[in-house]
Amino acid sequence: MFTMHPTLLVGPADWDQVRMPKDEFLGRIAALWRACDPEIAGAVVYGDARHHAELAYLTHFTPKLEPAIALIGRAGPPRLLVGGGVNMLAAAKPLTWIEELLPLREAGAALARWRTDLGSERLALINGDAMPFGLRQNLAKALGSPSDVTETVAAEMRRKSARELVLMREACATLDAAVVAMRAAQRAARGMTDVVLAGERVAQRRGAQDIRSLFGPGGTLGPFLVPVAAPADPLQVYVAVRHAGYWAEGFAVLATSAQPTAAQARAVLDEAIGLARPGTPHRALARRVAATIGAGRRHPVTRETFGGSIGLALPQPGCLTETSDGRFAAGETYTVRVGMTDSGGSAIVSAMVAITDGGRDVLWAGGDS
Amino acid sequence: MGLTFDERLTAICARMRERRLDLIVAVHDGAHFIETPNPVMVLCGFKSLGPAICLLDRAGATTLIVAPAWDAERAQALCPKARVIGTEDVVGGLAAALAKSGKPAIATAGLAFASFGLARRITDLVPDAADDIVFDAAARKTDDEIAWAREATRIAELDYQHLLETARPGMSEDELATETRWHSKSLGAEDNFVLLCASPHNRAVAPSNGRRIRDGDIILAEITPSFRGQLAQICRTIVVGTAPELLRRKYALVVEAMNAGIAAAAPGARMADVCRAVNATLERQGYGEYCHPPHIRRRGHGLGFASMRPGDVALDNPTVLEPGMVFMIHPNQYLPETGYLLCGEPVVITARGAEPLTRRQAALAELR
Repeated sequence: MFTMHPTLLVGPADWDQVRMPKDEFLGRIAALWRACDPEIAGAVVYGDARHHAELAYLTHFTPKLEPAIALIGRAGPPRLLVGGGVNMLAAAKPLTWIEELLPLREAGAALARWRTDLGSERLALINGDAMPFGLRQNLAKALGSPSDVTETVAAEMRRKSARELVLMREACATLDAAVVAMRAAQRAARGMTDVVLAGERVAQRRGAQDIRSLFGPGGTLGPFLVPVAAPADPLQVYVAVRHAGYWAEGFAVLATSAQPTAAQARAVLDEAIGLARPGTPHRALARRVAATIGAGRRHPVTRETFGGSIGLALPQPGCLTETSDGRFAAGETYTVRVGMTDSGGSAIVSAMVAITDGGRDVLWAGGDS
Repeated sequence: MGLTFDERLTAICARMRERRLDLIVAVHDGAHFIETPNPVMVLCGFKSLGPAICLLDRAGATTLIVAPAWDAERAQALCPKARVIGTEDVVGGLAAALAKSGKPAIATAGLAFASFGLARRITDLVPDAADDIVFDAAARKTDDEIAWAREATRIAELDYQHLLETARPGMSEDELATETRWHSKSLGAEDNFVLLCASPHNRAVAPSNGRRIRDGDIILAEITPSFRGQLAQICRTIVVGTAPELLRRKYALVVEAMNAGIAAAAPGARMADVCRAVNATLERQGYGEYCHPPHIRRRGHGLGFASMRPGDVALDNPTVLEPGMVFMIHPNQYLPETGYLLCGEPVVITARGAEPLTRRQAALAELR
């Protein structure tokens, strides 16, 4: 989901080596090298405050302020270039297991030195499309003609380890707490932004690393722009919480009375969840949802996409579409969304699902109540 | 001052005619970083969730292309004069709009700041740039933007009071930063750039991490709420415990340097003059070597969606100050005896000089 992106990430993002040991990252890097052309000597991994899932996957580092670039060689210790001058490096150190930190301002020179150290011209680039155009042009010479292996990493990231699944479950518990708080505030007839802030408050106090919200009356969705004192009944909410790096997102309809459209959407969602099992094509789930809703009742937010893989990144774009070629696999985590609009109103509901060997676990599901 | 949004657009259109441009293509990728200018907001006032492109023709008509498609309704409500196109692919939307427009002389704005994946597709369609036309016109804020900056400053000062009431030893930097950000939302800010850290001897101000605040720490806080997309910042320093006399004296020096900068920020002066005035105060006390990188590279900066105008309070910025400009003046100085100290106010340039937007100027605070 697109949400309003904040100007600075302020939540807790320190590396916890007990919960996510260095060996886990080394295993991911080893998997990357196994999947890459053996001629490639090193990988350049870009991340910024908005797009850093791949960087976090390999280094744990979340760039809160300025971008960062990891230089990961097949041999030798990795380096991390972080935004700001040398005086900012100490503050970045607790966020990563990588020991050698350098200032990003000298990225061109650092990259050139590193290539010389590697003794090879062949580099891989990960998440290079997210680099600012100006920075990419500045680094063009030092990068040479890198092989883009972003999709290779993304494929590895879809399947979660046991440790990652624990964190995803915790993220879902925080999501649930936020929605419960929002529901209580809505029932107390508080204004729309107060309802959203009540949920964000709970998530923040549970240690959420980031919280994104969209909300609106009558099935509409928008970001917090200015305080809205008026209550809404029903109130459509979207909440995404990030916990220890991992996102959980949810749609819910908050109301003081039964909402037939939301109830129907929830029924379609439950049916869709039942289809999520290893080997099932993504498009099978999407087509079932689309057919059940009917073309005339699709909600604009879920008109084309009914969700996607989720974890270190909020899914964008989602893969649960009617034309997707992918299939569900054990170990993956998904957000599944169903939106409907009809004469009775509008509603979007969703669920967080972990695919297991035997089917799926529902980590969180929202509806109306 | 009296600048309106329509007058700004008229000025941009006049420059387009001078440059013989038919159309400007303003691009933003949806990442609202504090110092990344946003030409889409300059041209139509819309703060997007995702990538957005605003087309302005020389007659003043705007077309707004937004992703995701479902956000078009919000865009239309906020920009009633614009033709709004909702799409999942803004570059595809742009290509279609350009094909229909038949306008041959086109230039972009904001492309250098957009993500490579987005920008490279647009350079294929529009190779030339006209950032100067868009951002020059946004150097002076409109009356509305100045009012929003005042409101953002009001929120910042209330938020700072809340920080003083909630900060305590044992709390992590992250906890204090998130609490400060949440509180500003409850006061009406839609975002807040809270750069906060603590140490007995800070080398710089950096993003918060999990470090626990301790007695004797010096907390540095840049509190920067956004109100209707307009940011305003205050820079403050708080001692956990009783401030030593040396620290008091050094902080007074930094405040003196800031006031020298504020006094120098008059219409007709250059941004470099403001920086020079700040530096001179510190240099007189023997801190000349600390007035340059790696300790400091600027004494303030622009704020918000046209932050590159007037840009940094820096020795290499020749921008001449005009009434209506809004920017930060912050000495934010590293001193070897005390470490880094934060001290800064947002100002608006008026005919009489720089007017701080804050009600209370920075003063060293103590948490007891």
